[in-house]
Amino acid sequence: MPFLNHGSYRIRYELDGPARAPAYVFVNGLTQYSELWGAYREALLTRGFRVATFDLLGQGVSDKPTLFINQDDQVAALRLLIEALGEGPVFLSGISFGGLIALRYAIEHGQRLSRLVPMSCFAELTPQLMLLGNALRTGLILGGTGYLQDLLLPMNLSDQWLKPLLDKLDSVKRQGWLVNDVYALQNLMESFLDFQPLTPRLSAISAPTMILNGEFDFLTPRHLHETLRVEIPNSSLVIIPKAYHAFTLEKGALTADLLARFADDVLAGRWQGNQAVWVAPEEPGGELTPFPDGYDHLRAIPVKRALA
Amino acid sequence: MSGFLGPLDSGARVPPAQQTRIAAFLISAHGALARQFAFTLPVSLDAAWQTELNAQFYRETEIVSLLMRATTWVPDLALGYMVASWETAWLPAPIDEIPDRRLAQAVHLATLAHAVHAGIRPAALLPTEANAQDPFVMALRRIEFESGRLLQAQILFLKGTDLAPHRDAVSAILEQRHASVRKLWRETLANIGIEAS
Repeated sequence: MPFLNHGSYRIRYELDGPARAPAYVFVNGLTQYSELWGAYREALLTRGFRVATFDLLGQGVSDKPTLFINQDDQVAALRLLIEALGEGPVFLSGISFGGLIALRYAIEHGQRLSRLVPMSCFAELTPQLMLLGNALRTGLILGGTGYLQDLLLPMNLSDQWLKPLLDKLDSVKRQGWLVNDVYALQNLMESFLDFQPLTPRLSAISAPTMILNGEFDFLTPRHLHETLRVEIPNSSLVIIPKAYHAFTLEKGALTADLLARFADDVLAGRWQGNQAVWVAPEEPGGELTPFPDGYDHLRAIPVKRALA
Repeated sequence: MSGFLGPLDSGARVPPAQQTRIAAFLISAHGALARQFAFTLPVSLDAAWQTELNAQFYRETEIVSLLMRATTWVPDLALGYMVASWETAWLPAPIDEIPDRRLAQAVHLATLAHAVHAGIRPAALLPTEANAQDPFVMALRRIEFESGRLLQAQILFLKGTDLAPHRDAVSAILEQRHASVRKLWRETLANIGIEAS
């Protein structure tokens, strides 16, 4: 199991695929660990990519700072990993908390990136998101990692995904419970206490950016992704149908296909951001369709977009 | 080496030799915390935060009492030496970076408690098939759950404004405490055939 050294801390990572191939780097969400990208690793390796995953500080097998975790250190760890990849094209993708770290990397070190894919992401702590985060942190404190998982599972996954697993949720939760420690998760959550909104800095992102947002994402709803679409110059927003916040877990095959096609299109010079809004297919290989012209993609009912 | 306790007996209970070692270690650690909280606890409280000292003292005592009663004990000759080394490890170490002796003593206690409550996860050693009705299994789960709550007092204090001028020193002391407690815990587990993550 390879590690990178950041100061006195060790960052566990995994890297597979041909050395000169375009690389996809994945950044975990808050309660994730590297192995959860396993399906993406297989799918993207098959399509000729190199794949790098890692545990953030405080997660999985990486070191868990005991008292404070600074988001600057997470960006620095990501930078170390990307430096370790060498010179080939780098596609950076992160989900939720990891999307935020990816955005910060793109703002601060964007010259190294070929493309960016923030997923279920945000640049601001809106009142709803801040209060939800506080409530989830209180849940962690009072009920432990298991209770936090109990809150996140129904919030972030669909009935269709949950229903067949209802009588084995303990086994679904077990690995996450084993590798995550209460104090480390709490430190990760409390790294937001001095969070500064990224919105004013998003325009510095020059890499072509595909923003992915689940249709029914409750935790980070559409308008949080809209901020990214509006502020990142060469971006487009892709809505994943019937998906919630954790669509990378629930719709792995579809998401991996979208990532691979995005990379192929970019490398072939076909991809245009144009700050467009698209609807992803429901199955891998299907066509993306433009969001219906004239309608407001920020609404959940078909409302005509107001004229500017 | 396994990552979990066992092999379990026909009733899905943890082998008594493993119960004995685990319980002895936890009693030593939580017993040391109970004693140190008892020495710190004034007879009459004169500040609101001292109510937490009272709570911590009784929760630690409860954990010791629970383990004494929930464990299936067997004779273990190696325990004498091991307990002596554990007890030595819990003793206060000088903290040169914090000149205020009372504050330094509080930091010692809080860092030890943080390391024990955060770094030792006994329930994570239980295999999925462990008998949920067994008192030792239930005790390990309770201790891990209670530790997560007890930990909050240490987090509040160690991250608090009183220690802000000593932030780097406190972080370094806490990292050292975690490393030393984790080392003892891993050695204890290795001696009964368990590889801690």
